[in-house]
Amino acid sequence: MEYFIQQLVNGITLGSIYGLIAIGYTMVYGIIGMINFAHGDIFMIGAFVALISFIIFGLTGVALPVILLLVLLIAMLFTACYGWTVEKLAYKPLRGSFRLAPLISALGMSIVLQNYVQVAQGARVKPMQPLISGGLEFFKNSEFVVTVSYLQIFIVVLTVILMGIFTYLITKTDLGRAQRACEQDRTMTALLGINVDRTISITFIIGSSLASVAGMMFVLYYGVIDFYIGFLAGIKAFTAAVLGGIGSLPGAMLGGLLIGLIETFWGGYVSLEYKDVAAFSVLIVVLIFFPTGFLGKPDIEKV
Amino acid sequence: MSNLLSVENLTMQFGGLTAIDNLSFDAKNNEITSIIGPNGAGKTTVFNCLTGFYKPTNGQMFLHKDEGKISLRKYTDFKIAHVAKVARTFQNIRLFPAMSVLENLLVAQHNELMVASGYSLFGLLNLKSYRDKEQLAVDKARYWLDIIGLTNRADDNAGDLPYGDQRKLEIVRAMCIEPKLLCLDEPAAGLNPKESAELNKLLKFIKTEKKTGILLIEHDMSVVMGISDHVVVLNYGKKIFEGTADQTKNSKEVIEAYLGVDE
Amino acid sequence: MEKKDIIQSVKDSLFTGIIALALFGPIVGLRTASKGEGLFITPQWGLVFILVGLCILGRFLINLNSARKTEFTFFSKFTSKLSSITEEKAKHLAITAILFAVVFPFLPFTDRYFMDVAIMILTYIMLGWGLNIVVGLAGLLDLGYVAFYAVGAYSYALIATTFGWSFWICLPLAGIFAAFFGILLGFPVLRLRGDYLAIVTLGFGEIIRIVLINWYEVTNGPDGITGIPRPSFFGLPFKRSPDEGEASFHTFFNLEYSTMHRIIFLYYLILVLALITNYFTLKIRKLPVGRAWEALREDEIACKSLGVNPTNTKLTAFAIGAMFGGFAGSFFATRQAFISPESFTFIESAIIVAIVVLGGMGSQTGVVLASIFLIGITEMFRDLEQFRMIAFGGAMVLIMVFKPKGILANRKPTIFMHGDKK
Repeated sequence: MEYFIQQLVNGITLGSIYGLIAIGYTMVYGIIGMINFAHGDIFMIGAFVALISFIIFGLTGVALPVILLLVLLIAMLFTACYGWTVEKLAYKPLRGSFRLAPLISALGMSIVLQNYVQVAQGARVKPMQPLISGGLEFFKNSEFVVTVSYLQIFIVVLTVILMGIFTYLITKTDLGRAQRACEQDRTMTALLGINVDRTISITFIIGSSLASVAGMMFVLYYGVIDFYIGFLAGIKAFTAAVLGGIGSLPGAMLGGLLIGLIETFWGGYVSLEYKDVAAFSVLIVVLIFFPTGFLGKPDIEKV
Repeated sequence: MSNLLSVENLTMQFGGLTAIDNLSFDAKNNEITSIIGPNGAGKTTVFNCLTGFYKPTNGQMFLHKDEGKISLRKYTDFKIAHVAKVARTFQNIRLFPAMSVLENLLVAQHNELMVASGYSLFGLLNLKSYRDKEQLAVDKARYWLDIIGLTNRADDNAGDLPYGDQRKLEIVRAMCIEPKLLCLDEPAAGLNPKESAELNKLLKFIKTEKKTGILLIEHDMSVVMGISDHVVVLNYGKKIFEGTADQTKNSKEVIEAYLGVDE
Repeated sequence: MEKKDIIQSVKDSLFTGIIALALFGPIVGLRTASKGEGLFITPQWGLVFILVGLCILGRFLINLNSARKTEFTFFSKFTSKLSSITEEKAKHLAITAILFAVVFPFLPFTDRYFMDVAIMILTYIMLGWGLNIVVGLAGLLDLGYVAFYAVGAYSYALIATTFGWSFWICLPLAGIFAAFFGILLGFPVLRLRGDYLAIVTLGFGEIIRIVLINWYEVTNGPDGITGIPRPSFFGLPFKRSPDEGEASFHTFFNLEYSTMHRIIFLYYLILVLALITNYFTLKIRKLPVGRAWEALREDEIACKSLGVNPTNTKLTAFAIGAMFGGFAGSFFATRQAFISPESFTFIESAIIVAIVVLGGMGSQTGVVLASIFLIGITEMFRDLEQFRMIAFGGAMVLIMVFKPKGILANRKPTIFMHGDKK
């Protein structure tokens, strides 16, 4: 039982990270109908920017909460630039091209970003000293002590706050309305005088910022990153987006949680070696049996 | 004239929306049956049910063939064309634009050619039996191209043809599967009067020479009134009138449905 | 050009510079390096300024260019020239290329290194041709093609090391095995939409790799399989000192022993395998099933309305593509005599997809050109491995932006009514 609760806590933490990345996939899919294959690598870049900022601020001796806030903002800002640029260079010229073109372009972009970071930052893994240590302990009398670290609390709370802001942005502001309009019908939205290009750019900026937060969490949680982390995390987050119903924002978060839990429980109870297989198998099963996911809208083929 | 198609109590719902409501009608052999009605009346949905793209919520559709009647509900997807021999065209033309005109017509004969090529085995061995069958398929394509006057463009890409020719090509491509019933979804849309007249001629030819029943959705009344033997009028998914072209023209219900009623 | 335009493009270029600074600043400018306990930062501002400067200059030149309303004439001229060459002289070119490939091992400048590179290029050409059936003809984006390559290599290695059967028995078995896997995966997933299919195949590729790493009892895990039998020349092994009472290649033909014999044999082996793949593809493209593949790529709904069974048709493409992947895998195993999961990563799939896409989907000649270009020329910059991959990815993006149908995008009909005029 205690072991189960521990896995649950770990799964929710991991799920928060996946959920934040998944939002980027689902938003881009919703608005331009493509799988942004490079999104996992945007997350990786976010993690690197966060790592670099942590090292720099670590030397200045500023208080921890201030460092966290600064790193968060810096990572969001710089990573958003990447998201914006990738869209402008690799996707925007392809609107209206044949259907596999954006996917192939995204694949190319993903390869570029991965190797670019490898060249610029080296191929070695980058370890970082834990910044937030300690935690709460439960069931101290039993055999297995359940630990909820402050870091896990930080990650989950930050995710909830960001989700709150984000939901407000999408449902209550003009920007959100423009975005939802673009999802429905891009041509009509443009005819109504909304700058569609700008709306799409902002979508990429938001998605990348959220991915960079996930990257920062990843650095803090695992304490080690390399240029390759975006690939696996990207696939899992994509699975999360599909599981929740691609195009649905609450779905992405729900899917993220589920994938985090599945992975942790699989690793905890079945086999650690095959925990990545679990994620991929879930992806395949979901796509075959529930292609619209849990919260997605059924899409009826127009003939 | 004997019945070719009987639609009985067909109902199609999408969520809470009832697109077709308890629709029944018959189409006869060697006749052109038109389905008309204002936009959103559910005409294309009827086609999609008939041709296996949607599964109707309720009701039956029977095709009367020489060997007995078969229920179209049992066939989905590609089997409608392959087994039941119901062919269709689309509102927005769906040719294979990057393939040649001839290739388009050969794809329509895919199933026979697959058997002839021994599921590719005889074809790879380049056996004469296959080459002969392929020649027959080309001859059939030429026959239809002669009829629509596109023989000299057989080797050009289908996507390079003018719009009107693409429409005609799509119809004869459907005819290449030798259908019992041919469903045409707005074949005259976007055609000029001359092309519409040619279309009328083609459809009449298919009806009389090929003994194929035609089900037609059309907005162009010059086409509908010119060639229909039988007209079914839909509004909001319900049949509001059924009769000959002349009867339809003079029907009060039909005029009301199209023009609205003064309250 | 007016003054207003110049000011505008200068402003625009400066904006580009700011963005470039934000991009390169942290990632390039602040290099992390481990020293002792933790990580330290090594600034490389010089490099950042060069990169930013290049971006500003590049943007400015592009602006000037577009103000004069000239497009990227060089690029389009080059590619259209390439297209016209292949249209007219495709056949001559192909024959010349094959002849060159046949005499290549005996050319005076050909040494061991050239042979190795040539064998590698031919392997990729074969893989590209195999995948071309799936991606180019049937229009199914398969990002897990390396899985079938791996299945071929491992089944070859396992059969050969366990039963000791000869290459010529193991090769078809490995191909059949790979095709079987293709059907196994394809059956459930081929109903999926294009982009979903891409991700699922990618997932499948990774699953295969993870299984290969972890299934110690069979695959020997990350250590891989060693001692895979080398192919023999119709029963004559390539050994310096054959066993008692056994002839080897050099003693049978009365030649001086040389390691090159085996290399040359391997070269011809892969050349023949690749040409078989090509011949098969060209043939099957003209059969009903090949036409149905292309029709499916063009419009699946229209295919259904004509009675074409989409699932079965896609499945044949998938299985045949997988089979050729399996053949190439067997060749890889026998050539290396050692295989491990490391050789079958996602990046291999990406390279093969890149070859097909860059060459022009469905174009057999395009695959050859793209393989030579991507593998051959960049092989010379082996030390710059990561730069090579950046160029790879960049080329994929550029091709999609400027020439989405690939460099050689001419499609010739599979059958003519009035005869082939060109």
